Amino acid sequence: MIKKKMKIINKLGLHARASSKLTLLACSFTSNIFLIKDKDKVDAKSIMEVLMLAASKNTIIYVEADGIDEKEAISSIEKLFLNYFGEGE
Amino acid sequence: MSSFNIHGVPVSNGIAIGKAHLISNALLEVIHYQLDKNQVSSEIKRLSLAMNEVRKDLLKIKKQLQKDSSDEFSAFIDTHLMILADKNFSEKPKEIINKDSCNAEWALKKQMDFFISKFDKIEDEYIKERKNDVIQVVERILKVLLGHPSQSSQISKGNSAILVAHDISPADALQFKKHQYAAFLTDMGGSTSHTAILARSLNIPSIVALQNARDLIKNNEQIIVDGNQGIVIINPSKEILKEYHVRQNLWGIEQQKLSKIKNIQSKTLNNEKIELLANIEVPGDMDSVKDNGASGIGLFRTEFLFMNRKELPNEEEQFKIYKSVARSMKGKTVVIRTLDSGADKLTSADTTISANPALGLRAIRLCLSEPQLFNIQLRAILRASKFGKIKILIPMLSSLSELRQTKLLIERAKKSLNNQKILYNNNIKIGGMIEVPAVAINADLFAQELDFLSIGTNDLIQYTLAIDRTDDRVSHLYNPLHPAILKLINITIKAGKKYNKEVSICGEMAGDFKLTKLLLGMGLRHFSMHPSRILSVKKQVLNSNTQKLLPWSTKILKTKESENIETLIHKMNQ
Repeated sequence: MIKKKMKIINKLGLHARASSKLTLLACSFTSNIFLIKDKDKVDAKSIMEVLMLAASKNTIIYVEADGIDEKEAISSIEKLFLNYFGEGE
Repeated sequence: MSSFNIHGVPVSNGIAIGKAHLISNALLEVIHYQLDKNQVSSEIKRLSLAMNEVRKDLLKIKKQLQKDSSDEFSAFIDTHLMILADKNFSEKPKEIINKDSCNAEWALKKQMDFFISKFDKIEDEYIKERKNDVIQVVERILKVLLGHPSQSSQISKGNSAILVAHDISPADALQFKKHQYAAFLTDMGGSTSHTAILARSLNIPSIVALQNARDLIKNNEQIIVDGNQGIVIINPSKEILKEYHVRQNLWGIEQQKLSKIKNIQSKTLNNEKIELLANIEVPGDMDSVKDNGASGIGLFRTEFLFMNRKELPNEEEQFKIYKSVARSMKGKTVVIRTLDSGADKLTSADTTISANPALGLRAIRLCLSEPQLFNIQLRAILRASKFGKIKILIPMLSSLSELRQTKLLIERAKKSLNNQKILYNNNIKIGGMIEVPAVAINADLFAQELDFLSIGTNDLIQYTLAIDRTDDRVSHLYNPLHPAILKLINITIKAGKKYNKEVSICGEMAGDFKLTKLLLGMGLRHFSMHPSRILSVKKQVLNSNTQKLLPWSTKILKTKESENIETLIHKMNQ
């Protein structure tokens, strides 16, 4: 299992479109992937859970992956975070 | 059929006249009924089938969209498909049916209410509004369950139907696009709702947050949508209808003409360059700043950062926002006004309610009494100044000592950055708002100690004429053309000229194209306004010769009565 600290840096936070991108990406891995914010831990493969995590800009999220492709999962998710979810800001 | 008006929030400009087309709100029709135990499994199957049908519908829409190559829209549909596929969304209602032996509609609504209650606890406005995506998916399923025919099939062709709905889902809106609705009206929504975004992209007028338009308006009633003012007129009289047909035509012609001057340089017939800047409230306004060809930001209000939240924004958060705006303006002017609200807006500050909040502890007075809060904002602005042409604007100055105190605090913030070896623009320009009459009268003293002056006409009028604009009983006395107001503006412009300091107006007067020529004649060269006003003001600028306007404005400044001033302005504009 890997756990990595990440920060939401895109302007709008994990809104609908960013959440869909994250969920789609998570679903492409076989590992179980969770997002942890404060006391909340949600399944990254469920858009409803991701949306309701209500992670706005500057929120710190711990991403946890457990499974055979956990390494790839963490690194691609981190890329998505750093890439502002492809939103440019 | 009596005529009446309702008011909402205008989110997309334009005028539309047509017949109301009401879209049913399936959620309102959900009733509860109990099932026999042996009906439960077929009820669950009914729900699964409905969800499947919606999925197919959405996929079909998505396919059509890909042909139209509309990325933004298809992302909305993707989100809806994912919500539909989410186990939390699709499986829970089935468990509810099983457990409570209730109908599918009720179970679906129960689960949706649960989601909504969770969304409602979210503080971030943008994410909070996404609960509407969930509601819209539920609505689609409900419509299938309740056996409503597909919405679009009911819509008559032609471009005179005005959609009246509780809320519009992006998927619905896309179908509506093909049917060429003339306008969107919704009970719900705000300026960031899907309805607003889509209406603007389709370039049709839209008014949202009408609250109960769906109850007040009947199907096929004739309505006028004035998206410029946020007014809906139901069953208009013949005279009103005629008037609006004229306005609609003029608006259409005007828009066509205006779009052509977007990229033309803003200068008068006698070659004087006139700066047309934009006022913005949130970084999200930047799109319309660019769409309207503003030459910079003349007023960036920072109040939004401080409102509706438990904790005050820290330096980092403010810095990032200022920096992003400065960067996206690519070296063009960005005037950042320091906090301009009253203590009542700040949760951490003392919240004594005063009898005259407009005259109370607010703006620079508040900042000087809360130096720590002010220091955080000043440091954030200074740090961002490295990334563009940022200027600082101080609101509601009323004395020189306040100004000097403020400058001292700015120096202190600079020093602390020096100590930490953080870079900033040491020559950052400092300007003051001219909105308290005492300051306008002494504008020459302030011009000597400031780098630029910005006249906030809204407050200047309110303070000079002692009118509370929010009080209906006296709001008619609010008058930008009162001779005293023009005199104060004139004093300020002259003071700027004398000491070679830029003077701008950033109140509503700057965006009123009927006043552009008068202000040009008085010597104003910098105007800052709502982005949507820029092109109509620019049109006036392009048709003006400042030398020829001068005698007019001189005459107007000598006129004693507002009525005569109005007549003269009318003549001046012809």
